[in-house]
Amino acid sequence: MQDHTADQELKDRLDLIESMIAEGRRNIESWGWTFVVWGLTYYIAIGWSALGHSAWAWPVTIMIAVIVTVVVATLKSDNHPVTTLGRAIGSIWMALGISMVVLFLSLGLSGRLTDQHLFVAVISAILGMANGASALILRWKVQFACAVVWWAATVGTCFATDAQTTIMFLVAIFLCQIVFGIYGMIAESNQRKRRGPIHA
Amino acid sequence: MPDSPELNPVVHGRLRLALLSLLSGVEEAEFTWLRAKTAATDGNLGAQLLKLEEAGYVAVEKKFVSRKPQTLYRISETGRQALTEYVQALKQLLGPAIDT
Repeated sequence: MQDHTADQELKDRLDLIESMIAEGRRNIESWGWTFVVWGLTYYIAIGWSALGHSAWAWPVTIMIAVIVTVVVATLKSDNHPVTTLGRAIGSIWMALGISMVVLFLSLGLSGRLTDQHLFVAVISAILGMANGASALILRWKVQFACAVVWWAATVGTCFATDAQTTIMFLVAIFLCQIVFGIYGMIAESNQRKRRGPIHA
Repeated sequence: MPDSPELNPVVHGRLRLALLSLLSGVEEAEFTWLRAKTAATDGNLGAQLLKLEEAGYVAVEKKFVSRKPQTLYRISETGRQALTEYVQALKQLLGPAIDT
């Protein structure tokens, strides 16, 4: 009986080590809100460009989203520690953000953002790459599923009609930005609730 | 029969073990972050971090950021080694019971 209790205490110690080390990974899930913000950004830009036919729709919406993301991220990450993993994932998304701003700002301002199929294919491929790289680093199947959805949208949009392309893009945004982002936020919230105090 | 390994008493304390494990996964961490992750009280957390510091397992850096004091903790090589040895000793003690 005493042996069993001692074994259980030692196993508790092992579990504690594993759960604390996993905290580094859990920090990633506090970025769920950015997926939702960017999903809404895409919807606003699509709506604006469809209704207003403005070349400024994408560049302006993306610039506002970048500012919102940077400001909120700075406020949220006030006392978060730096991890190699966090820096790796952050670098992927930062490089993606810069690429999108540079590419779509230039295309928008030059008036060459005219081929809807090419636009959706490029944006989907870039998002598939970023989600795929992040998922492979984190070994996160749910995020890899998002990458697959983006890659499927890349292929699909090359062969689809205008209407089908729009629907595919809207569905991919909904699944990979809105649903995935909310899932990330719920997962983070659940972990906060489960975590009790650790005594000496 | 081989001798049972001793568990390092400094590492074995629940909160100290949690702190070393947390610090092993990050480059450095603020006191407030460690407090949020462990949900420990300021007094208890400070006391356990001091024990780890005295054992040479963590290094402390105090600085001011935007005029606010900031205390940063970083696991030392000795601390990382102590944690690794502790895990090995735990696994050795548990033996086959580890999978049950």
